[in-house]
Amino acid sequence: MENAGYLLAAFAIAWALVFGYVLLLFSRQRRLRREIDSLKEALKEKH
Amino acid sequence: MRFWRKVIAIAWKDTLSEVRTKETVSSVLVFTLLVIVIFNFAFGTSQETMVLVAPGILWVTFAFAGVLSLNRSFILEKEEGCLEGLMVCPISRETIYVGKLLGSLLFMLVIEAIALPIFAFLFNLVLSLQLVVITVLATVGFVTVGTLFSALAVNTRAREMVLPILFLPIVVPVIICAVKASGLALSGEPWGSLSSWLQIIVAFDAIFLVVSFLVFAFVIEE
Amino acid sequence: MKKNILLGLSFVLMVIALYLVFVYVPTEKEMGIVQRIFYLMVPLGWLSLLAFLIVFIGSILYLAKRESKWDILASSSAEIGIVFTTLALITGSIWAKPIWGVWWTWEPRLTATLVLWLVYLAYLIVRSYATDEERGARFAAVVGIVGFIDIPIVALATTLWRGMHPGPIIFQGGLAPAMLLTLLVSIAAFTFLYSVLLIQKVSMKNDEMEMKRLKELHS
Repeated sequence: MENAGYLLAAFAIAWALVFGYVLLLFSRQRRLRREIDSLKEALKEKH
Repeated sequence: MRFWRKVIAIAWKDTLSEVRTKETVSSVLVFTLLVIVIFNFAFGTSQETMVLVAPGILWVTFAFAGVLSLNRSFILEKEEGCLEGLMVCPISRETIYVGKLLGSLLFMLVIEAIALPIFAFLFNLVLSLQLVVITVLATVGFVTVGTLFSALAVNTRAREMVLPILFLPIVVPVIICAVKASGLALSGEPWGSLSSWLQIIVAFDAIFLVVSFLVFAFVIEE
Repeated sequence: MKKNILLGLSFVLMVIALYLVFVYVPTEKEMGIVQRIFYLMVPLGWLSLLAFLIVFIGSILYLAKRESKWDILASSSAEIGIVFTTLALITGSIWAKPIWGVWWTWEPRLTATLVLWLVYLAYLIVRSYATDEERGARFAAVVGIVGFIDIPIVALATTLWRGMHPGPIIFQGGLAPAMLLTLLVSIAAFTFLYSVLLIQKVSMKNDEMEMKRLKELHS
C-alpha cells in the first residue's frame, strides 16, 4: 500500500482538472446562450 | 528548366544582397561564435566534459543561429515590400519557397563552414567528413521547415518570437539525431553506427521538403 | 438537453472505469498499487494523439474547402487536446516519482508527449498572434498539418535516442485479460468524454459566431 498517495494524487488531479474543465465549458455555454437570447430579444424590439 | 531558373534567380537575389551588405552574415556569425564561447564557460574546462557536451553545444548554437538567420530572411523581404513584389511576378508560390530555401541554405552553410573549424579549434576536436555530412543534412532539415515558418511568422504580430515557438519543437528530431550522430562522429565511430541517425534526418528532410512545398502557398496568399 | 444526457452518460462510463481500476483489476506484481495510474496515463496519451489527429484532419479540410466549420473543428479539438496533453504530462510525472524517484525523466514517451504539448502550444499561439482571424485560421491549419506529420518522427527519434541508454520505460510485457479490459474501458470512457467535450466546444464556437453576427446587426 506504499505509494497509494501518488495513485490517489494522480486520479484526484485528473478528475479535478477534467471536472473543472467540463464545468467551465458548460457554464460558459450557458452564459453565451443567455446573451444570444437577449440580443435576439433586443433585435426583435428594434424591428 | 524554367522553374529552376526562376528559383536560382530568387536565391541569387538574396545571396547578392547579402554579399553586398554583409550585415546578416556578420551578425549571425558573431552570435554563433559568442554562443560557443559562452557555452565553453558554462561547462568548465575538463577535456572529458568537453567531449561529452561538444555535440550538444554545437547543435544548440546552430539551432539558435538558424532561427536568427531565418527570421532575417523574411523580415527584410516584408519591410522592403519585396514579398509583394515577388508575388506579383508570374511565378508560382512554390518557386518562391524553393528560391528562399536555397538562399537560406547557402547562407547557413556558409556560417557553419566558418563556425565548424573554429568550434573544432576551441574544443580540441577533430573535424571529419562525417561531421560535415551531418551538418549539411541537418541544415537542410532546418531550412525546409524554417523557410515555411518564417514566411508565416513574418505575418504575425510578434514576428521574432513566433518563429522559435513554431520552429524548435518541430525540428526536435533533427536536433536529437544531429547531436547523437555528431557525438559518434567526434569519437571516431564508423559510418555504420551513424546510419540510423542519418536515416531519420534524411527522412525528415524529404518529408518536410514535400510538405512545406505543398503548404507554402497557403501561408503567403494574400 | 441532449448534451447534458451525453455528459451524464460520459460520467457513468467514467465511474464504471473507476470501479474497474480501483476494485476489479488485480494489483500488478512489480510496481504495486501505483501501476494503476497506467489506466489513466494510456487513455490520456491516446487522447492527446486522437485530438491532434482531428486537428490535422480539420486543418487539411479547412485549407482545401475554406469552410469555417472545419476550422472550428480543428481549433476546438486543439483547445481540448492541450488540456488532455497537460494532464498526460502531469500524471506521467506523478507516475515517475514513486517508480523512479524523480519528478521527470526523459523517457521516450514522456519526451514525445512534451514535444506534442509544445506543438499544441504553437498551434494556439499562432492563432492568437495572427493579425486577423482568417489568417489565424489559415496559419494554424498549416501548423496543424506540419505538426501532426512531425509527431511520428519525434516518436521515432526519441525512442532511438533513449534506446541507447536503457532507462525507465513505461511498461513492458503482456497484459492479463482483466487488465486489458480495464484499459479498454478506460480508453473508451475517455474517448467518449472527449467527444462530448468536442461537440460542446464546437457548438460554443458556433454560438460565438452567431453572437458576433447578432451584435453587428444590433449596431
